[in-house]
Amino acid sequence: MIAPFFKFGMFGTEASLVVAFVIGIGFGFMLERAGFGNARKLAAQFYFQDLRVLKVMFMAIITAMVGLYALSRVGFLDLSKVYLVPTLLVPDIVGGLLLGMGFVIGGYCPGTSCVSASTGRVDGMVYVAGMFAGLVGFGEVYPKIKSFATMTPMGHLTIAKYFDIPYGLLVFAVVVMALGAFVAAEWAERKFGDGSAGMTGGLLESTRRLTPVRILALGLLVLGLFALVGGDPYRGNTVSIDPRALALSAGRGVVKVSPGDLADSIVKGTEEFRIIDLRPAAAYATYHIPTAENIPLAALAPDSVSSDDKVVLYSDSDMQAAQAWFILRASGDRAAYILAGGLDAWKDQVLYPVRPAKPTGLEAAAFEKRAAVSRYLGGTPRAAGASSAQPVEPAPALITPVAPPSAPDMARPKKRAAREGC
Amino acid sequence: MNSAPETHPPKPYWNPYVAGFLLGLVLLASFVVMGRGLGASGAFGSVTAVAMHAVAPAHVQNNPFYSEYFGDGSSNPLKDWLVFEVLGVCVGGLISGALANRISVKIEKGPHVSNGWRLVGAFVGGAMMMIGAKLALGCTSGQALTGGAVLNLGSWAFMICVFAGAYALAYFFRRQWL
Repeated sequence: MIAPFFKFGMFGTEASLVVAFVIGIGFGFMLERAGFGNARKLAAQFYFQDLRVLKVMFMAIITAMVGLYALSRVGFLDLSKVYLVPTLLVPDIVGGLLLGMGFVIGGYCPGTSCVSASTGRVDGMVYVAGMFAGLVGFGEVYPKIKSFATMTPMGHLTIAKYFDIPYGLLVFAVVVMALGAFVAAEWAERKFGDGSAGMTGGLLESTRRLTPVRILALGLLVLGLFALVGGDPYRGNTVSIDPRALALSAGRGVVKVSPGDLADSIVKGTEEFRIIDLRPAAAYATYHIPTAENIPLAALAPDSVSSDDKVVLYSDSDMQAAQAWFILRASGDRAAYILAGGLDAWKDQVLYPVRPAKPTGLEAAAFEKRAAVSRYLGGTPRAAGASSAQPVEPAPALITPVAPPSAPDMARPKKRAAREGC
Repeated sequence: MNSAPETHPPKPYWNPYVAGFLLGLVLLASFVVMGRGLGASGAFGSVTAVAMHAVAPAHVQNNPFYSEYFGDGSSNPLKDWLVFEVLGVCVGGLISGALANRISVKIEKGPHVSNGWRLVGAFVGGAMMMIGAKLALGCTSGQALTGGAVLNLGSWAFMICVFAGAYALAYFFRRQWL
């Protein structure tokens, strides 16, 4: 499995911008060829006169859909690495309605307005200006409507998963539905249109020949039929554990993150990592690292955690965490780390750091930072023993700390949200 | 950039099925190469956030909508995948339009509406469209097209509502188009 190329690290972020530009050129070219730089052609959809919006859109959707299905079934593409926009059901519905109304009032959507404006259409340019105005308005009221805009979150969810329908069956059904819609669209164009659209080059064209368009439709239907019997493209991607690769990665050592680094990440609130506590629920209830979630080792499966997440695993010691690391890695290469030294090291180094006996200026400053982090996370810095022989006071037993009074004086930058969608 | 000379009339648009199929291949290429689909509205958000930041930096930092585009400040919001993709869309549209003699400065509208009203409609429609796109985390490209192809639940709910919203209002705006 080598695709998606970017997700398998074949090129970096800088190069991806070049890819973006090239793909954008293809996108813009096709939109213009389809007639989508022309608001009247687009709006004709809503008067049943020229249903190109429906034809182009559903043709593109089923082409990409059966293509994705086929490529993942032959083992070329890992479908689980293809980004899904998270579903927020109510905002999706309300946003869709608003967008549809904007479509018929303004005549474009964001992508088509770019094509329209770049080919000289003044209404397209004014539409783009309107979009900026809408954005500023949305940005200003966003703090007030944030709770609405983020309601009913359902995560990354496909229709197949939600309704528990086999993915392949759904692919087939969508192909059939789209082809049916094309036939209905051509019928509507004959009934409501002025005769300019849909008479030639359609599926219902009055010829018995197998026209290119009919071949295209037939090809997609055949691919859809394969999907019907082809199984689940997601579950199809079970990666067999290669003992040699496993041994090699074991030889290189499991990737560890130090307690100090993890603590800094929590304090900064970067939400860089998903922290997984592997201990039984009772131990988790007594104490856990702030923001950690509980998945006891026995319950952990390779697909328990999305492969897009950077994960830090911990338990009392390294042992169980390393086991969990192997379980997660069994489903493919992913960013998984274990907390070096486990909860013991967390306790010693983060919650109850020991002040150096005779610190230099630099050491003292570093300790002050550690102490601040410790207090923030509910711990207490410890003083060093009078001599090196004398042991420091033992660290107390761990209980879940009460909410910290205030964050230590560290920058708390906000994480840039992943915005892969639109 | 003015109307094409008489000797070069605009070529007809492509057959929608063929255009849709090729657009689907572009979308598929995006999935295969990047692991993500196409988009458009996100790029406008980045540009707006940067513009607002230039005008009122303090205001932007205190606003959760804008500040998200800046993240921890380590990267420029304009060095964004969608921004470059949308630049490509403009260039691709220009190339296609130029090759088909379709580049001309004019207003697309029905015969029964004045230029002024058509432009008011374009402005209002653009604003509504973008508010909807920001609520739904995507537009016809990022949600309907891309999410449609990966059978995303929210995208299909969104798509149905786009058509519902448009058809519901179509009657009242018929003079603009017919």
